[in-house]
Amino acid sequence: MTKGVKIALAFLVGAVLAACAWLFLRPAPGGSVAVVKQDGVVLQEIDLDKLEEPMMFTVKGDNGILNTVVAEHGRIRVKDATCPDQICVHQGWISQPGKPIVCLPNKLIIEIRGEGGELDAVS
Amino acid sequence: MPSPDKRPSPVRRLTRCALLTAIALTIFMAEAQLPAPVPIPGVKLGLSNIVTLYAVYVLGPGDALMILLSRVFLGAVFSGQMMTLLYSLGGGLSCWLILLVLRRPLDLNHMWLSSPISAIFHNLGQLLVAAAVMKTWAVLAYLPYLILAGVCSGLLTGMAAQALTRRLGRR
Repeated sequence: MTKGVKIALAFLVGAVLAACAWLFLRPAPGGSVAVVKQDGVVLQEIDLDKLEEPMMFTVKGDNGILNTVVAEHGRIRVKDATCPDQICVHQGWISQPGKPIVCLPNKLIIEIRGEGGELDAVS
Repeated sequence: MPSPDKRPSPVRRLTRCALLTAIALTIFMAEAQLPAPVPIPGVKLGLSNIVTLYAVYVLGPGDALMILLSRVFLGAVFSGQMMTLLYSLGGGLSCWLILLVLRRPLDLNHMWLSSPISAIFHNLGQLLVAAAVMKTWAVLAYLPYLILAGVCSGLLTGMAAQALTRRLGRR
């Protein structure tokens, strides 16, 4: 094996290891603040990273629909709802910016505000 | 057709380049039908690189460059996506440049090694174009994924090209 081959091989292995290391050791994106809005009005802002104990609260709409929201360290979800379609409940936990939880009948939207945010699609 | 020196006649050279361009283009078009795993246009398996590898090692970098540029341009036109032109160009040129450097130390028997390395630089070139176009360095977040995918497909194409070259002989 010539010296050139050795260097090339070392480079290749190094690049692969670096890529793996980057993927597995990446620090989690910081600063997750959940914003709970109803009808465009911000009801609450919860810093999910600083949350020690889970917290639960309800959001009531003009039409009588009730959403039960549970927030834990790093994530939030709609646990129960009296709305007809239950899409908000089925969404489950969110912990990243980009895909909010929406309850249209109750005009509720819970989204996580983060820096940057990942691209969904680019064309 | 006898020629005074060892180089192939111009006609033969032209024909061979044209044939290789057609092959590379076909592979490129077929590959383009597969959905892209990442939202950067032009990221594919890179199988048409088999032709580029063969060309660089057997025909020389000049002819290989001609084949590459023709394939990139025609591929963008035929697939109807001129947007990929920039990315293909960036990736293809980076790949070609690295092969230029590597083809002496890593000879015909080491195509399996020069190919994944050139694949890494191909992806790097594409990412740099994407970063310039979208004016953000955020796209570099894809680099680790592209390195791993690129090395895998690079090993594949490198081994294929090596076997191919061995079969076809040097001329």
